[in-house]
Amino acid sequence: MILFSAAFVSGLTACQDFLVREPKLEQSNEITLSTYDGLNSATAGLYGYLSEIGWYGQVFTLGTDMRSGNGVKDDVRNSNRFTQEYNWNYLPTNSTGIWSYAYVTIAAANNIIDNLAGKTETDVTEQDLNNLKAECLFIRALAHFDCVITYAQPYTYKSESLGVPVVLHTDSEGKPARETVAKVYEQIVTDLTEAETIIDPEYVRLDGTDSKAAANLDAIRALLSRVYLYMGNWQKAADYATLVINSGNYQMWTPAEYPDVWGKNIAGEGGEVIFEVFSSKSNYSHGNWEDITWMTSPDGSGDAMVSNDLLALYDQNDIRYTAGFRTTDTNNGKGRKWTAKYPGKGEGSPDANNIIVLRLSEMYLNRAEALKNGATIAGVTPESDINTIRSNRGVASIGSVTIQDIKNERRMELAWEGHHVFDLARWGDALTRTDFTLGTMNQNIPFPDYRWALPIPQRELDVNENLVQNEGY
Amino acid sequence: MLMKIRLFFVTILMLLSAAAASAQSQEVSGVVTDAADGTPVPFASIAVKGTMTGTSAAEDGSYTINVESRDSAVLVFSFVGYKTVEIPVNGEIIVDCALEMEASYLSDAIVVAYGTMTREANTGAVTSIKNEGLAESPAMTVDKMLAGKMAGVQITSGSGQPGSTTTIRVRGTSSINAGNEPLWVIDGIPVAPGDFRQLSNAGVGGGSSTTFLNPNDIESITVLKDAAAASVYGSRAANGVIIVTTKTGQSGQAKFTARAKYGVQQLINDHNIRPLTGQELIDYNRMALTNAGQNPDAYTTDLLANGTTDWYKELTRLGNVQEYEINASGGTEKATYYSSLSYYRNKGVFYGVDYNRFTARVNADMQLAKKLKTGVRINFNYGDSNSGQMGDLYYSNPIYSMFTINPWSPMYDENGEYNSAIQENSNTNPRAVAEYDTYNDKEYKAQGTMFLEWKPIPQLTIKTTDSFEGTFVNSTQYWDPRSNKGVSRLFMYRTNDMRLTTSNTITYADEFAQAHNVRVTVGQEAMSERYEYYGGMSDDVDPQIPYPTTSTKEKDQIDYGLSEETLLSFFGIADYNYMNKYFFQGSVRADGSSLFGSNMKWGVFWSVGGSWNISSEDWMQPVSSWFNLLKLRASYGVNGNNNITPYRAYGVYSSAVYNGIVTMQPSTPANPELAWEKNKAWNVGLDFGFFNYRLTGSIDVYDRLTTDMLLSKEVPYTTGFSSNFMNTGSIRNRGVEFMIEGDIIDSGDWNWHAGFNIAFNRSKVLDIGDSEYLTVSDSRPSSNGNNSTPVRIIKDRSLYTYHLRDWYGVNPSTGAGLWWTEDGKLTSDYTKARYVDMGSPEPKATGGFNTTVSWKGLSLSAYFEFVTGHKVFETASYVQDGYNLSSGTNTTNLALNYWEKPGDTGVTPIVIAGDPGNYSASSTRYLKKGDYLRIKDITLSYSLPDSVLKKIRMQGIRVYVSALNPYTFHDLNVLDPEVGYLGYSMGASHSMVKSFVGGIEVSF
Repeated sequence: MILFSAAFVSGLTACQDFLVREPKLEQSNEITLSTYDGLNSATAGLYGYLSEIGWYGQVFTLGTDMRSGNGVKDDVRNSNRFTQEYNWNYLPTNSTGIWSYAYVTIAAANNIIDNLAGKTETDVTEQDLNNLKAECLFIRALAHFDCVITYAQPYTYKSESLGVPVVLHTDSEGKPARETVAKVYEQIVTDLTEAETIIDPEYVRLDGTDSKAAANLDAIRALLSRVYLYMGNWQKAADYATLVINSGNYQMWTPAEYPDVWGKNIAGEGGEVIFEVFSSKSNYSHGNWEDITWMTSPDGSGDAMVSNDLLALYDQNDIRYTAGFRTTDTNNGKGRKWTAKYPGKGEGSPDANNIIVLRLSEMYLNRAEALKNGATIAGVTPESDINTIRSNRGVASIGSVTIQDIKNERRMELAWEGHHVFDLARWGDALTRTDFTLGTMNQNIPFPDYRWALPIPQRELDVNENLVQNEGY
Repeated sequence: MLMKIRLFFVTILMLLSAAAASAQSQEVSGVVTDAADGTPVPFASIAVKGTMTGTSAAEDGSYTINVESRDSAVLVFSFVGYKTVEIPVNGEIIVDCALEMEASYLSDAIVVAYGTMTREANTGAVTSIKNEGLAESPAMTVDKMLAGKMAGVQITSGSGQPGSTTTIRVRGTSSINAGNEPLWVIDGIPVAPGDFRQLSNAGVGGGSSTTFLNPNDIESITVLKDAAAASVYGSRAANGVIIVTTKTGQSGQAKFTARAKYGVQQLINDHNIRPLTGQELIDYNRMALTNAGQNPDAYTTDLLANGTTDWYKELTRLGNVQEYEINASGGTEKATYYSSLSYYRNKGVFYGVDYNRFTARVNADMQLAKKLKTGVRINFNYGDSNSGQMGDLYYSNPIYSMFTINPWSPMYDENGEYNSAIQENSNTNPRAVAEYDTYNDKEYKAQGTMFLEWKPIPQLTIKTTDSFEGTFVNSTQYWDPRSNKGVSRLFMYRTNDMRLTTSNTITYADEFAQAHNVRVTVGQEAMSERYEYYGGMSDDVDPQIPYPTTSTKEKDQIDYGLSEETLLSFFGIADYNYMNKYFFQGSVRADGSSLFGSNMKWGVFWSVGGSWNISSEDWMQPVSSWFNLLKLRASYGVNGNNNITPYRAYGVYSSAVYNGIVTMQPSTPANPELAWEKNKAWNVGLDFGFFNYRLTGSIDVYDRLTTDMLLSKEVPYTTGFSSNFMNTGSIRNRGVEFMIEGDIIDSGDWNWHAGFNIAFNRSKVLDIGDSEYLTVSDSRPSSNGNNSTPVRIIKDRSLYTYHLRDWYGVNPSTGAGLWWTEDGKLTSDYTKARYVDMGSPEPKATGGFNTTVSWKGLSLSAYFEFVTGHKVFETASYVQDGYNLSSGTNTTNLALNYWEKPGDTGVTPIVIAGDPGNYSASSTRYLKKGDYLRIKDITLSYSLPDSVLKKIRMQGIRVYVSALNPYTFHDLNVLDPEVGYLGYSMGASHSMVKSFVGGIEVSF
């Protein structure tokens, strides 16, 4: 009888074991978030989202320029891509998808931030944890920022209008409402300022191939400069730009360097790159035939072409004109040009190319604009900053810069890096396009106009009744 | 002892009758017995032919009846389940009658869970079909043959691609995420669901894959539809169970059967949809540009200078289908066998698409000792499928590009090579892709089952059935530089899935006091499955040697997947009947599954059922000569559904390589409470048979309630996930099924048989958590990350409902499209159009009818299938209304019925380049009635008569010609109305095909 009972009990245990099949290729939340190594790997995982096609990997970067008048569609290369961006033909059901990537990233960052407390171990100091936290705060701020400039009216126009939800903790049930634009910016500044305070100034994530593809103190400050600029907080924008410029960690590319800086596998030390997105076929996510290199290559789908409106701004000797664009004689009767900023790093076809998010020349441009608007920094003027850029691009200096000069310089310098449409919005400038080949609607867009804020994706409204659609959609 | 008693009574009776012989009316008496075993047939009815006189036999089978004249009277003996017999009295006083069992109906053994059962004893809703009803039609898989033949079993092909799978719904769709395919049980073993082919897109329809079975090997198929019938399979029974039994040999001389068939196939396009010709497209585009206020001169007849190409014609071809098979069966008293070998080949109607299959089967049974029996069922299958990018909305998919490539784009360039400079098709020539690229799956599948059965005493059966099922798939995808912009890329996958099952039962069956029949089965079952794949991508391989060896290490990438699943079950079934009149059945099963949360692994499922054979009641005897059967059935039970992918209960991070290192990203949220989805169902049914079973049928009413539904609920991205899997929600399906069939003429050489079945099902969403509705995502990848469909799941409505902008029509004076606004006004501004929830892709009724007329050896049969009461969203007509101009493509003749001048009605909107008015944007404009009636199969066959066969020493020769899907009646602007259960095709799936086949079958 005892024997029988023993057999029965062991049989039952065996049954329970038989019914346990755990995933072997994945790691439980508990393990990932309970050790420094797990938290560190999870932090490194945050940057991957930026490389997705729906974000910096393509749509956010090129789509922005296709909307801004820097890009044009033409039948010399037409695979029907960017038609929507080009025509500003946005409906709630087909709005741009940055929302999904940004909030997945924010939630993943919150997972880490919520679990960092008390995870010091032997060889793991409070500072190590703080460095991870600073990286998470940086990414969270960047994600909120990219969302608020996409889906809301500019801060400088209506800071009390609806922005986007601010999500600060993991919440599987949460249905956050949209905060005002001002509230969103306030949180972005709070996150970045905290990150600036707690990060070890010397900290650089070194485990990856490209050390510029992770946040450090300079990246945090550079983003702060941009955020303040977007808020019209001129003095802070200038102050943070100055901190980055004066760090001594970066140098402007010379005209001789300029043609070769774009297709590099890693940014390396020096140069202008402060923070970039690493792209490679070895990444878990690669755009394949949707990759940014294929969209901007005359040998690829080539749908993203450069408009004559943009080309007309450049001096013929400008290195940005002579080396910043490329063209072909094949099937190109109209002599269309494509940006040369994503030539590919030589991983085959389709190729891959890093995407720069923050670089030194933007800091000069931010500061010039801020100074022109009343900020003061000892020893520098709008002219000195603009001419720092111009002298490094092989064009003549300007004696006295107007605000329009600064705007034009910014457009020329940062073209195809995803800036211009957001710059137009915060300046309150209308979009005017003269080269509007193949365009079917929305050639010119006045400011103000509801179209400067893209519709919130209908899917989100469907599952979160606390969200409100933007006016006009 | 029994016999003695009966003899005694008979003797007494004989004496008594003799004594009564002198009466006015003459008395006849006798005993009615069962011809098989001589036992009396109580209550058999005896009538005098041509009179109102009748009586029934006593409990011991004896009867006495008065006739007017013993010399001329004819007695008619009949009873339920027996053949009616007429016996002339011929002056005799004693007329005994031995009734023969009616072999064909009530006593038919139907295969049910863990055994067989007579129709008479069955309490559940079960539909059974024998092979004769199946093997005639030329479809190549079992599931496709069943379409329209069983009430309440809806079979939809998601794709017409050779070797593709089907979607099967038994009594509606009861689940949103946990799968809706029924469980397939082959020779007693549940088989692995799904399709493991990686690349051929043949599995694009999702659902059941039975491509590995040779239809001719099948003896019978039974579908268990209600809870009582199915719940013995517990956690996997919620969607019904399809039980397939393969053939076994009969003892005797070896018998061989050889079959061969050959046929041709073409794409179904019964409405003759075609791309525009060059001139038509020029006129169309010029008008569209003019209407848009643009210069139309980009489109002039200059484009036609180099001739035009009909891309529809160039991208399709006449396909063919052929099948060759030989089988042998026979055996001795102790051992029997059935074996078969078959080869099937289907060359698709699109270039580069084909499917080849070999199957081999050996079934053997052996009586090892008097009480010990064993048997094996072994099936091997090799399937080789090639496909282009069928199923993806991609430029190389011909079903899309045949309508969009401009007619002036030539097929060949000046060098006679395939022209790939087709800008409107992303410089992709589908013919070049078909020629140079590879999308191939080679599937090897082995299934082996053995059983051992021991009957220590006649009442007790102890049986073990053990099975191995292994599927190995070698998949290769190769992009050749000639068709891929100079790039070569190779993917190779090796997939294997192995499933071990053991099923052990003890059955005790006995009869007590000649009235109480009891059968009890207890059993245990365990299943373990392991799925693994290993794949590599190699870039820039040498086109001369397109294998991974010619790619550098840096350009090789490895992909790997692994999942495991286990199931452990204990069950019991009890049957009881009294006098074969009242039947009861109960079952209970406990299932433990590895798929669920740690707290929720075990589930208990049960059912009860009963039936009442009304026609066995005494008071039915007066009509029993023509009213042969009336049986009432009722059942209730609770089943489960565990049909989800593994590890959904675990919250995990998965690895993601970024920036040269392995990082971790959250992949699924945790859900330790994840548990079974439950399905509670009742069923009431009535079976009837008239006129000696020449007319039979059944009617069933059911209600299925799904609770604790496994929902992948879409959640806001602000939670960090797009969806979360949980037990919430409830759906109800209610319906009525009706089947009737009869031999309308059954006289000698002539026979006319007809059958009809229809099923009505209504679903209703009772609860979907706290949401008012759920959106339904499309699994197809899309460039803008927007996989939404026009279909929603809305509370208090049928399962799927279209959610679309409300189209009104075309403004006859301007040609502009008009929509309804929220406040009931008309608008031509798409963004102001209101949304309506309207129409469902779920059919209100499905069914079929068939008829067979035969005369001697000649037979003409036809099967029809109908689906009605649902709406279809016509995505195919999306390339209309000037939308083509923004992408520079061709469109179809459907676009030509446009508004031209004020007063035009019944037209599509004015065509403006770029469609700035969004007239072709998604709206109820494209929502149409989806009703269709399909001629599934018309077959004319001739079997040689015995007289001829004897001379040539053959057992049978049959020749036939068939037309499969020759025509379909419908009103939709699509190639074919069978567009899948979501009511709209991706616009990209391989559409259905029609076939014309001839064949011969010889047995000797």
